[in-house]
Parts: sequence; structure tokens; C-alpha cells
Amino acid sequence: MSVIKTEKIVKIYNSKHLPVKALKGVDIEIEKGEFTAIVGPSGSGKTTLLNIIGGLDKPTEGKVFIDNEEITQLTDSKLIDFRLKNIGFVFQSYNLIPVLTAKENVSFIMLLQKKSQKEMDQRAEELLNEVGLSDKFNVRPNKLSGGQQQRVAVARALASRPKFILADEPTANLDTESAFNLLDIMARLNKEENITLIFSTHDQRVIERARRVITLVDGEVSSDEHFDR
Amino acid sequence: MKTLIKISWRNVWRNKARSIVIILATGFGLWGGIFATALMSGMIQQQFDSSIRNQVSHIQIHNPEFVKEKQAEYSIHNAKQITDFIENNEKVFSYAERTLVSGMLATASMTSGVELYGIYKSQEEITTSFKDNLIEGDYFESISRNPVIIGKSLADKMNISIGNRIILTFQDLNGDITSAAFRVCGIYQTSNSMNDGRNVFVKNTDLAALIGSDDIVNEIAILLHNIDNVNAFSEELNSRFSGNEVRTWYHISPDLSFMNEFSGMALMILLIIILFALAFGLLNTMLMTIFERTRELGVLMSVGMSKLRVFTMILLETSFLVVIGSVFGTIIGALTVALTSRRGIDLSGFGAEAMSEFGFDSVIYPTLDNMFYLNLAILVLITAILSAVYPARKALKLNPADAVRKE
Repeated sequence: MSVIKTEKIVKIYNSKHLPVKALKGVDIEIEKGEFTAIVGPSGSGKTTLLNIIGGLDKPTEGKVFIDNEEITQLTDSKLIDFRLKNIGFVFQSYNLIPVLTAKENVSFIMLLQKKSQKEMDQRAEELLNEVGLSDKFNVRPNKLSGGQQQRVAVARALASRPKFILADEPTANLDTESAFNLLDIMARLNKEENITLIFSTHDQRVIERARRVITLVDGEVSSDEHFDR
Repeated sequence: MKTLIKISWRNVWRNKARSIVIILATGFGLWGGIFATALMSGMIQQQFDSSIRNQVSHIQIHNPEFVKEKQAEYSIHNAKQITDFIENNEKVFSYAERTLVSGMLATASMTSGVELYGIYKSQEEITTSFKDNLIEGDYFESISRNPVIIGKSLADKMNISIGNRIILTFQDLNGDITSAAFRVCGIYQTSNSMNDGRNVFVKNTDLAALIGSDDIVNEIAILLHNIDNVNAFSEELNSRFSGNEVRTWYHISPDLSFMNEFSGMALMILLIIILFALAFGLLNTMLMTIFERTRELGVLMSVGMSKLRVFTMILLETSFLVVIGSVFGTIIGALTVALTSRRGIDLSGFGAEAMSEFGFDSVIYPTLDNMFYLNLAILVLITAILSAVYPARKALKLNPADAVRKE
């Protein structure tokens, strides 16, 4: 069963002078447990597609289904709630809440989900242990390295037990060691816990680990390859 | 909510210097507002108290004809029954009966028009602060025959000292002009130099003998225990003793009433202006904060933080800034008021005479009631909310997809 399904997604940005067609009828289907990399040159529509799948933006035409529920028809406030319950986000620039500690950052999503304090503490510690930050529970982001911050961001994305994780160029700001470290963690989570991962990237290190690579060129899917890794 | 409060509180201290500047601006702004308000309130309250205690009292009773023509012959109807009733009424603190005639004061070289008050010294002593206002001499004690007490400005103008002899001339009840020699036993001074230059006080018995009747009462001034009872008590007097004119302090001196009401409003407007200016400072700070944290707000909205929560967070941050600043300002304001209200502030260097002309004391005792602080708290909260609304709306309009990528 597909977790994500898009039907003829078109996205046109109405700039002042010239409308820009960022996506030109994208059809993709992603199954549970996939590790998918969406790749392509700058301006190919990777981020736009990720935003639309993640409910952060709405397509001009077409439909997006998450677990068979069409999210393109949802109102803004319902979309916020939908994102909270179903999608984990990892951003390029980590984007942790600077005034919260690593553990509080991870707990934050669960807090929005109104989980009990005990459950939040337990899961946040479990996830930080899993990403190798058991000694950084009470450290604020400015005292963590880029790689550590991104690992906290992964733990945060997992905290709500989402249906899938969207990661927008998560390794772009990391050095090689940190990037491999992060990819190892994510690949392990994907294999061991069957977590669905969708990356937008043009980092070769990510592409080499992904089991499916969808290439976008000029807003269209130009290739869709599966690898047995 | 606990975490929202925690995040907002920590956000306030992310840029310490900026937060401290806005807190200090709020604090000192409020301090200025509180102190200016207390100073003005003190000034007005003192003038009000002084007018009530020196001149007006809470209620005055006259013969209606006397109010029109000010002739001593128009005595209050049933004055004895009225004073009996007043004497036994629990609402009444004290009263004073007076005989009033207009006349002329003459020394060897000068004359001046005066209002002559025939008073009972024991009644006047508790009803008005007249005795306390004596700055020289005594209260009808050292001179047994025809003692008179005059105001300082009159004494200065006419060059009169204690012990001097003056001639008072006026009409008696038969319409004949009568004169008598009086000796100055005391000189008083109030904060109203105009009254001091006009009002002259003699013993009622001395005046009664000169005008030819000892049962003339032109004025009964009543002081109540509680000023809030003036309406009810004046109505009671009116219904019991018809034929007289019973007037409350605000009828006798509408300027006092106007000043009392207007000053409260004016001071509140002053405070609103100060808070309005502060609101713009806050608005600016919060807008800067929103612009600086666009990406972070985008993340919060992306991961599922509702608009209401984002709004609440910004409202809380603004409120923290305002509340800390206000508490600081209120504490130093209240301390300043407490300190100066005991010692008073001597403004005589800024023109004691000019202030006295307008009935103000030159030493001001700033004062504020608890209601002011309650109103202030409400205004501060309104300021916080108003200055948070626009930045919060800006934040809510952010597109999370764009915001998370903002450099």
C-alpha cells in the first residue's frame, strides 16, 4: 500500500512578470518503508514537490494522497494538525528551537500532540540514545555541532511516530564524517524500524544510500530507479 | 501552556540588551507617569481638602435671599431647630454657625473692603482648619474686647501687625452705618491668598452686639464624617427644613467639582499617552524579533504548531517585556510616591505666590489611590495585547515553506 501518492501535480508560481511552472504533472507513488531520494539540478522542482507532499504548500492542479487521504483539500488549520500527526520534517539548516535543550526539542512535537510528560521524557531519551546523543539531553543547540544538531532534528522528526519523514537536503551543511554518521542512523532506522524516508538532495553520499532515486528535471520526473541496498 | 511560557520566557532573554532596553524604557516611562500623576493628584487633593476645610465644608445652609443679596438681615429660617437636628445626627462630624456682613476695614492711613465673619470659636475650631492656619498671634485669647483675626495678605497690604487697632465699618440690621474698633489678635494664612485678603473673623457675640441682634445666623457650614453622604443628607435637610437653601460643596464651588472630575480624566489621558508611546517601542521590538526569527517560526508552523499557539507565544513574549518593565516602573514609582508623600515636595522655588493665587500649596504631598494601580494594570495589559497583535499577525501570515528557507 502506498503511503504517498501524487496525481498530476502541477505548481505554477505567479511571479510579477512571468508565471513559473515549477512542477508539470508529477505522478509518484511511495510505499511504506522506502528510502527515496528525489534528486535533480537546482530549479528542477525538488523542494516544491517536497513542500507539496509535506502539506506546506498546495499544488495549482493535481492531488496528493497520504494513506489514501487527500490532503490537497484540507484547510490550513487542518493541514497543520495533519502535519503534526503524520509527517516528520528534517531541514537543511537543522532549525532546532534555540531556547530549548536537545531533549526539550525532541519532546516539543509530542507536547503539541498532548502526550503525557512521562511518555515524552521516555521517548525523547530513547530517540536521543538512538541517534547517539545520550550525553546531550540538556544541551542547547548552540552548544552542539552541526552534525549533532541534525541528529537531534532527526530524533525530533521521529518523535511523533510519523507516517514518513521528509528531509530537505539534510546533509548539505554537514562535513563528510557527520553526513555519513547521519546517513548511517537514518538507514538503520529505515531498515530496522521500517520508517519511510524521502530525501530531496543532490548529495552523492545520500544518493548512494537510497534504495530508490527519483530524478526531476524541469518539473518532470525524468527517471525513477530502484536499487537493492 | 507551561512549555509555551517557558519558550516565550527564554525567547525574551535571547537578546538581553534589547530586552533590557525596552524593559527600562517601559519602567522609567511608567515611573514618570506614576510620579507625575501622584504629584498632580496630590496637588488637586490638597487644594480640594483645603477648600473644603477652609471655606466650603460639605454642606452650607443659607436663607435664599442671602445667597442673592448677601445682607445680614436674611437669617436662616428655624436656625435653632436645624442646629438641634444637626447636633444629634450621626452623619455629622461638626458644624459652624456664622453671621456674615460686608464692610470696610480701615487703619490710620488705608481702607479695604472685607467680608466680616462672626464666628463661634469652638465650632469653627473643629469644623474648619481656621485655627491651624494661624501664623501669628492667637485664637481670640490675648485680647478680650473686640478681637479680630485677619489674613496675611490683608495684613501685608494694609501694613497691620498683631496688637494693631483697626476700624470695621458696616450696616446694622436697621440699615444704619455702624463702626467699631477691633484689635488684631491673630494673622492667618491659607493656600488661597485671595480669600486671605478679604475674609476677616470676629467673635459672633461681638458682631451680634454691633448689628443689633443676637439671633442672626446667615450661614451654617456642615462637615460630615463621610463626603459620600452629602447628597442624602442635603436632601434630608431640604425636606425637613423648607424655606432655606441647602447646597452641597459641588453646588457652592462647581470649579472644585469640575477640577476633581477633570483631573482624574486628564491624568488617565496622560498615562494612556505614555503607554501609547511605549506600545510603539514594543511594537518595533517585536517586529524586529519576528523578522529575525522568521525561519524558526516557519519551523514551528511546519512541524505542527497551531496558529493560536504561535499567536499566544508572541503575546506572552510581549507581555513578559511589558509586565517586567511595568512591575519595575510601578515599584520605583510607588517607592518615590511613598517617600515624597511623607516629606512632601517643596515647590516654593517655582513661585509660591503664584501657586497660592490659584489656591495651591507650595509643598505638595504626592498621593495615589489603589484604584489607580488597578487601572494601570489593566492599561498595561491592554498595551501588551495591542502591541503584540500586529507582529503576531505578521508571524501568522508567514508561509512556513518559505519561512524555513529564509537565510
